[in-house]
Amino acid sequence: MAYKPQYGPGSSKVAENRRKYMDPSHKLEKLRDATDEDIVLLMGHRAPGAAYPTAHPPLAEQQEPDCPIRKMVTPTDGAKAGDRVRYIQFTDSMFFAPSQPYERTYLECYRFRGIDPGTLSGRQIVECRERDLEKYAKELVNTELFDPARCGIRGATVHGHSLRLAEDGMMFDMLQRCILDKKAGVVKYVKNQIGEPLDKEVKVGKPMDDKWLKAHTTIFHSLGGVAYRDDAEYIEWVQRIHSLRTKYGFMPME
Amino acid sequence: MTDAIYPQVRIVPERFLNPETVEKILNRIATTEGVRRILLRGQNIPPTVPHGPARGKPNPHPMKRTIQVCGQDVELQVHVGFIILELENRDPIPALREACDSVFTEFSYGLQEGRFMKSEATLSDYAKYGTEAEKDIIGMTDPRSKSGPIILQGVK
Repeated sequence: MAYKPQYGPGSSKVAENRRKYMDPSHKLEKLRDATDEDIVLLMGHRAPGAAYPTAHPPLAEQQEPDCPIRKMVTPTDGAKAGDRVRYIQFTDSMFFAPSQPYERTYLECYRFRGIDPGTLSGRQIVECRERDLEKYAKELVNTELFDPARCGIRGATVHGHSLRLAEDGMMFDMLQRCILDKKAGVVKYVKNQIGEPLDKEVKVGKPMDDKWLKAHTTIFHSLGGVAYRDDAEYIEWVQRIHSLRTKYGFMPME
Repeated sequence: MTDAIYPQVRIVPERFLNPETVEKILNRIATTEGVRRILLRGQNIPPTVPHGPARGKPNPHPMKRTIQVCGQDVELQVHVGFIILELENRDPIPALREACDSVFTEFSYGLQEGRFMKSEATLSDYAKYGTEAEKDIIGMTDPRSKSGPIILQGVK
C-alpha cells in the first residue's frame, strides 16, 4: 500500500488548517498580487531587473563528477544557473497569524524543493537559490499563508511575535518596516526586510479581519481562539510521542 | 528605585499605545491630585538600526516622537505598553480609572495595584552599573543615560 501522509493529528480547526497548508495537493488561496519586483524590493538582495549574481558557473558549463545521486535529482532552476543562496525571514504574531514558524517549515518542506529552512520560536527563515527563493517568496506572500498586519517580513530585528498589537492592529516592529495606510486601509512596506528605506513603497494589501484570521490560523490560543487543551486528539498524540521517546531513551531495545 | 512606602498602580492597555493616546492619558494622569511619579514602560525603539547588515543606519519610527505633557516636551523612547504610577495614597485610584475609561475607548485595559518599581538594586544592577550608579534611577531607566527624569511643573 502506498504511503499516504497524514500531516498531523487533531480534530480542531487549527489542526485542520495545519494539515491543509502542509498538504501539497491543497491549492493555497491567492489573496493578493505582489509582483516579482515587489518581492525583490522587499528582500533587498539585488536591484530589481539586475542579473542574478552567481556563486558558481552554470551546471551545464562545468564538469559534474560521475555521481548516481546527481543523476537521480533534477537540479532546481537556481541551482542549474549557479545562483547565490539567499533568504527570506518571517515573523508571525501569536494573535492568530495564519502561519507560525514550525508550520512554515513543514509546509515548505512538503511544497518546495532545494530549501534550507531554519525554525526559531519567533521567526522562521528559509534559504535557497535566489531565483527559486523569489518564486517561493511570492507564494508565501500572495497566498493565505500571509497576513499583512500579523505577519512581518523581517531579516533582522524580528522581535514582536509575542507582544500585544499596536492600536491599529499591526504587530510591533522595532524598525517599522511596514505601516498601515489608514486612508486606503492598505499595509505598505517602506523599508526592506533588513530595515533599509525603500525608494518605492510596496503595497501588500489589506489586513484580514479577525473572523478570517481565526478561521485560518494555525496557532492554538486560549484567549479568544482554540485552546490547545481543547483538542483531545492533539494532546493524546503529543503525550504518546513524549512517552515513547522517554521510554526508548532509557531502553532502546524494547 | 523607590521607597516601598507609597502605593503603586500599573495600567495595562490591551494594545500598545500610539503617541497621541499616550499624550491624552498622561495629561489626564499628570493633572490628577496625588500622583508622585509616572513611569512609561514598553518596547525600546532605538534611534539607529541595532542589528543586521543595515546596522547604524537611522531608524525613523512613527511611534517615537515628542509629545506634550502639561505643556512640557516629553520625548518617547519606547512604544508604550505599561504606565506605572507611584501615588501618595490610594485616593486617586477612582480618578485614574475614570481617566482610563475616557481615553481607552477602542480597547480594554487593566488597572492593577501592587509593587511594580524596584525597591532594591539586584546583583545584575551592580554588575551592570557598578556601585556608584544613582540609586533613584535604577529599575526605572538606564542610570548611564544622560537624559534624566522629566519634572512636570505646576500641576498642583
